[in-house]
Amino acid sequence: MALFGRRNVLVAMLLFAAVAPTFLNAYYLFVANTILIYVLLAIGLNILVGYAGQLAFANAAMFGIGAYGTGLLQVHFGWPFWLAFPLGALIATIVGLAISLPALRLSGLYLALSTLAFAQFTQWVFLNWEPVTFGAGGFKTPPISFTPLPISKTLGLYYLSLILVMVLFALAQNLVRSRIGRAFVAVRDGEIAAESLGVDLLRYKALAFGISGFYAGIAGGLYSAMLNFVSPEGFDLFQMVIHKAMIIVGGLGSIVGSVLGAGTLVFVLEALRKVKGVQEIAFGAILVGFILFMPGGIIGFLKEKVRGWEEPLHRTRASRRPPIAATSESSEVRP
Amino acid sequence: MELLVYLLLSGLTTGSLYALIALGIVVVNKATAVINFAHGELFMFSGFVAWMLHVQMGVPYLPSLLAAVAFGFLLGAATDLIAFRPLKNANIISLVLATIGIAFMLRGTARVIWGGKGDYLPFPPITSPEPIMIGGIMVIPQQLAVLAGSIVIMVAFAAFFRLTRAGKMMQATADNAKAATLAGIRVDRIYMLSFGTGAAIAGAAAALMAPLTLLYPDMGFSFFIKGFAAAVLGGLTSLPGAVLGGISIGIVEALAGGYLHSSFIEVSAFIVIMFVLVVRPTGLLGSTRFRRV
Amino acid sequence: MTLKRCLKAGLSGLFLAVAALQPGQAQVPGVTADTIKIGSFGALTGPGYLYGKLPMNGIEVVFDQVNAAGGINGRKLELVREDDRCDPAAAIGAVKKLIHEEKVFAIIGGGCSNATVAARETLAEAKIPVIIMASVHDGITTPVAPTIFSTALTSSLESAAMLQFALDQGAKRIAVISMRDAWGRSRYTPLMEAFQKKGIKPVLDEEMAPDANDATAQVLRLKGANADAVLVVLYPKPAAIFMRDAQKLGFKPLAVGQSGIADPAAFEDQVGSPGATASFRTISMVRYTPEDPAVDKWRKAIEAKFPGDRLSVFNLFGIGSAQVMVEGLKRAGPDLTREKLVAALNGLKDFQTDVYPGGITCVETDHRCNKSPAWIAKEPGKPVRVLGVTKVE
Repeated sequence: MALFGRRNVLVAMLLFAAVAPTFLNAYYLFVANTILIYVLLAIGLNILVGYAGQLAFANAAMFGIGAYGTGLLQVHFGWPFWLAFPLGALIATIVGLAISLPALRLSGLYLALSTLAFAQFTQWVFLNWEPVTFGAGGFKTPPISFTPLPISKTLGLYYLSLILVMVLFALAQNLVRSRIGRAFVAVRDGEIAAESLGVDLLRYKALAFGISGFYAGIAGGLYSAMLNFVSPEGFDLFQMVIHKAMIIVGGLGSIVGSVLGAGTLVFVLEALRKVKGVQEIAFGAILVGFILFMPGGIIGFLKEKVRGWEEPLHRTRASRRPPIAATSESSEVRP
Repeated sequence: MELLVYLLLSGLTTGSLYALIALGIVVVNKATAVINFAHGELFMFSGFVAWMLHVQMGVPYLPSLLAAVAFGFLLGAATDLIAFRPLKNANIISLVLATIGIAFMLRGTARVIWGGKGDYLPFPPITSPEPIMIGGIMVIPQQLAVLAGSIVIMVAFAAFFRLTRAGKMMQATADNAKAATLAGIRVDRIYMLSFGTGAAIAGAAAALMAPLTLLYPDMGFSFFIKGFAAAVLGGLTSLPGAVLGGISIGIVEALAGGYLHSSFIEVSAFIVIMFVLVVRPTGLLGSTRFRRV
Repeated sequence: MTLKRCLKAGLSGLFLAVAALQPGQAQVPGVTADTIKIGSFGALTGPGYLYGKLPMNGIEVVFDQVNAAGGINGRKLELVREDDRCDPAAAIGAVKKLIHEEKVFAIIGGGCSNATVAARETLAEAKIPVIIMASVHDGITTPVAPTIFSTALTSSLESAAMLQFALDQGAKRIAVISMRDAWGRSRYTPLMEAFQKKGIKPVLDEEMAPDANDATAQVLRLKGANADAVLVVLYPKPAAIFMRDAQKLGFKPLAVGQSGIADPAAFEDQVGSPGATASFRTISMVRYTPEDPAVDKWRKAIEAKFPGDRLSVFNLFGIGSAQVMVEGLKRAGPDLTREKLVAALNGLKDFQTDVYPGGITCVETDHRCNKSPAWIAKEPGKPVRVLGVTKVE
């Protein structure tokens, strides 16, 4: 395989990430940990949007549910992190499954709006259900401890995130190459055709939403441990824009693209610190620039320019679909 | 009883704010089947331009309003050139994100130019600021101006779409762009016209609404969300639907705030949206679009 | 040739010797022989920029003035800004960057409350001297962190003052209207505690969203409950809508504001309804409003350095906290270390600045250094006047 082939690049990145704490200062380590968390978010969202074609805007809300779930189980019930963390992710997964139900009847912009409405509703719950969520002021979570092992909290959390990213990345790669992945693509490219081939829409849509909820929930739990603080601010629509930007910049329909997109976006946001005050303008310009000049995302660009970069076939196709009806019940079907 | 009347009236006036925004969104969507996520920022920016002309430079109200409308048109056309034309055949998320990128640029620019002038900028109303009595109820005249404005715009555009050639061309393009091209319609120009017109409506809305809502760089988004919700509620392709959707959301918010608790005002619109979309997905007045297999 | 080479070698040797003889200031982060690097974090973008970018502008004009007069003990002040977008994670990142990457000596910062609370642990752990310029959340200053000081009036101080003021004016049926975001809650909770301490309850507890456009329901209920005073825990925009709708519906209570609405003249314009703000009284963290001739010097400085900007109270927050930092640095002496700065700040007693209503006093057990809110009001058609300065314990 060529020097810059996909596998080599991934292995190099992994090695770099594994030894990074030895030479990065506390600030860069924080940024690196942030990237790992955003990689999880991007992979989950790409499975839902890039592979299954569901234009959902609820990812940031599920990120928040994971963070709040993990934190609140620790604070209200005194559970240790190791118990609260998987349960927080489970709550996010269940919520993901729940919002797949309206997704059956809606698609395109209507699905976007209803998931957006759900996201606003979740924000409202975080703010107003004060006895449970502590409202607008947020709450502190107990610091995570790795006691039997002699490592500090920051280091331990970094390696935990890295291990989870490795495992969940491999899981996602296997998923999209399996029957389930193919079913997702079938749903994305033509729901009616997929149905006629025996693909159960309910099951696969629910699965896609559930999986993205799970990834977002895991990311949320790690986030709450990294900040030791959970508040409604971090899970708003700006967050959602960042998530979408990550998968577009990385490349829709590609797991590796999610990794590259997440790294690029976090890197860009931190690099923009240099242009104090005009950050918003620069961020908007960079976003538009990426979309106009790299329409297939970084993965599309690599596929074209770098010899030896092999990417599985399931990239989303470029052509834009004509507007489609919001329900599958509309009986008239014109050729 | 008096409470109900006041609440309905306040819902009507807030709702007409949303209706104005929704109209701009629907005009663009009718022709291009796309939602311009920068619509709120186009609205905000035109408002600041009107402020700069009217308050800073002393230009009288009406020319400032017209200048804001014209400027809005130009901004809308620019959005089309940057975000829509190159991406016509890309997938819809890229389009949405490109318009969001433009929204960030506009918001940042507004913050740099006008952000240091104060937290919320006041704008003098077109009418007198004193509240007036109508049939035993106090009303602020500018709110009536906003309501009248929405209705005028709705009627004008309904007539435009149905009666003028340009309007019919826009409808044809929305229906089937390929066929429209075959029929000799310059589809690219129609798209630019639609974006410009939608943004021009936003400019007019800003000049009308600024006295009531105060100007600040972040005002665009919250109006956009409500306007978008109103447009979907009314059916994304229906102009009367946009007005109906806007007013409905305004009234639902007012009633929820009045009879339940003020904390419900913010979220009631979204609960209604979620509900309506499940029950009647094309909105109140929208037409079912047909699905191509 | 060899002469030139010898000269070069000699000069370099001399230069190195002189450099080596410099006092080891490079050991102290952010301090060199001729500069002191001060960091600042807050929102530069996003709606919170009022509490981040604008105070930082104020800090810069103070630094410019100090530098023009020769600096502090021969060192010029340099400000390094970082954006936290009002987001807790971004605040932690901003603070880590300032401490570990930019290696600043001290920090004047803190805009949005939640962001600052999130960053507090990182700041306390690094033992870097911090002056909080605008965040009001009690969790920042309580429990006391040895190196974190605040010149912002904390929310519990202001809330207690608001209630006291209403009672002092003879109000019997006091109601509350507040915003449910982090800023609002940080004031609402201590306000409810203040009510409890006095043994009374608010007759009504209403809410408004920060970008609300209508307050009819709330005003009608307050009017129906015959409230004679309303404690307004809102930003200027919803407060303006509230006052306007109150006027429209014929409801004229005593309206008590807080330092979020610190400019009654601007507020009068924002409300837009003549006479609506006649019974509006508010607290200010700073003694002067922007049109006051006493701050002419700062107005000129801000408008010269940032063309197009108008002097606002937010600039004044930064100016005040910068003056406190400058005084602390002066007192710490030429042999500058972080410990000396902290000790100097702890020794401030009744230090007068150009903007704060009372003197700045910090003690080791209480780093809330500004405890003197000013009460201001503006009658329609008349200039703003200071009703008085209260000292809160």
